[in-house]
Amino acid sequence: MLGQPRHNRVVITGLSTVSPLGNNLADLSQAVFGGVSGIKRTAVPFIEQLDCKISAQSNFDPADYFTKHTYSMLDRVSQMALHASMEAIKNANLDITDDLKPRMGIYLGTGMGCAHSFEEGYIRLYREGANRLKPFTVLMSMYNAAASAIALAHQITGPSQTFSTACSSSAVAIGEATRLIRHGYADVMLAGGSEAFLTLGSIKAWEALRTLADEDVNDIGASCKPFSVNRTGLVLGDGAAMLLLESYEHAKARGATIYAEVVGYGTTNDSNHITQPTVTGQASTMQAALKDANLSATDIQYINAHGTGTQLNDITESNAVKKVFGDHAYILSMSSTKSMHGHLMGAAGALEAVITTLALCNKTLPPTINLAQPDPECDLDYVANTSRSLSKFDYAMSNSFAFGGTGAALILKKVH
Amino acid sequence: MLPPVHSLEEIEHVLTDLIADKIDIDRSSIQPESNLKALGLDSLDTFDLIFSAEDYFKIKVPSDEIKIETLEDVALLIQRLIATQK
Repeated sequence: MLGQPRHNRVVITGLSTVSPLGNNLADLSQAVFGGVSGIKRTAVPFIEQLDCKISAQSNFDPADYFTKHTYSMLDRVSQMALHASMEAIKNANLDITDDLKPRMGIYLGTGMGCAHSFEEGYIRLYREGANRLKPFTVLMSMYNAAASAIALAHQITGPSQTFSTACSSSAVAIGEATRLIRHGYADVMLAGGSEAFLTLGSIKAWEALRTLADEDVNDIGASCKPFSVNRTGLVLGDGAAMLLLESYEHAKARGATIYAEVVGYGTTNDSNHITQPTVTGQASTMQAALKDANLSATDIQYINAHGTGTQLNDITESNAVKKVFGDHAYILSMSSTKSMHGHLMGAAGALEAVITTLALCNKTLPPTINLAQPDPECDLDYVANTSRSLSKFDYAMSNSFAFGGTGAALILKKVH
Repeated sequence: MLPPVHSLEEIEHVLTDLIADKIDIDRSSIQPESNLKALGLDSLDTFDLIFSAEDYFKIKVPSDEIKIETLEDVALLIQRLIATQK
C-alpha cells in the first residue's frame, strides 16, 4: 500500500485460549508451568466404539458465552475460535473504532475444519436415512466459517483468510499475519487457530494411522511422553488460541501493553513423504525463521518443540535442532508442552505461541512432563518434568511441523 | 407419531415453539402478526424455520412459496400445504 511503512515491527498485545488446560490465561499458566496434564478419558457418547479412548478435550460449552441463536449456526470449531477472538481483543484492551475496522483482519488456521458439521450431516444422511440436510450445513461446514464469524462479529473489514496446512496451520496463520502487518497491509490482526475434530469419524481416521499414544494404565494424564524412551505416540486435543498482533507504532500510540515481539517467521516444505519428517526439512524451517529475524543460532534460549511424542518426530526434531544450532543445541532448552495439552493440530501452533509468549513474560520455561528416561537418541535439555526459571531470556522459537510437509517456525522476542 | 394438526391456532403454537427455541426468546413476545425479521430472524433463519416446520408437519414447501413476512403468513402457508399434500 503506497504511503505505508514497509517494515513495521510486529508486537503481541493480546492473548487468549480455549484449551484442555483451561479457557483463560491464568488457568493455562498455572497448568502449563505447574506440569499439569489435561489428558483424560474422552467424554463422548461413542467411547465404546473407540480403540483410543483418551484425548485432551477442552471443557467448552458455547452456551456459557453465546446465545443459542448464535451458537446453533456455528460449528464447534467456529464457536471456540469466535470466543478466543473476543477474549484476545478484551485481553489487548483494544477499542475497534470505525477507523481501525478496514485496517484490521483475521488469519486463522485449522487442520480438520468443521468436522462436527460434516459428521452430523453424514449421520443424518447415511445412518438416519434422511434425504436432505439442514439449511445451514454449507455455512457451518465451510473451512472459512470460523474466520468469517470472527470478521462479522467484530465488523472488521481487512484481510480475512483461512490456512490449512495440518499441524502447522495456525503457526502459518500467525506468520503470514505478521508479514501482513510488517509490510503495511494491516495495522492489527487477530491470528490463531481452532480445531474441533473429536468426532467418531475423525478419531477412527487417526486410529488407522497408528500414531496415537497408548493409554498409560497407571495414569491417563501421563500418556503423552515426548522424547521419552517409552513414548508411544501423540494424543489428540481440541481447542483454540488467538494472538492479537499489531504494529509497534499502533500499539505504542494507544498505550497498549506489549507481551512480546514477533521477530521471525520461516516456512518451508520438506517434500519428502506425506507423513515422514526429515532433519533437512525441519532444519530448513528453523533456518528460514532465524534468517528472517536476522539472528544467530546462539541468540535462541528456548524452543517450544513440535514434540508430538511419536517415534519419528522426536528424534528427527532433536537432530534438526542439532543441525541448525550446532554446539548451542546443548546449551539452549527445548520442551514439548504437548505432553500436557496434547496435539491440537490446526490450533497447536497458536496455543504453543501463546505459551511461548507467557514463558518469555514470566522468564520461565514450561516443562516436558512424563520424561523419566529420555530416548538415548534424544539427548538435549528437554526441561524434564518441572518448569525452570531463566535469568536471561530474550528469544524463543516455536516449532510446528505437519503431515503434508509444511513446517513453520516463529521467533518471539521479549520486549523490555 | 405426532397428533394431526389442523387448526391455524395449533400451527401457530408449533411455529411459536420453534421460533422461541431457535432464537431463545420468550414465547409470549411472539404473536401471529409478529414480523419475522423484527423478531430477529434473517432470511437464512426463515429457511431454517421452514425446514423444521417441514419435518414437523410432514410437508414440502416449494421454494417459490417462501414469500412470507409474519408468523401468520407461515401458518397459513403450512395449513394450505397440509390440506393439499395430504
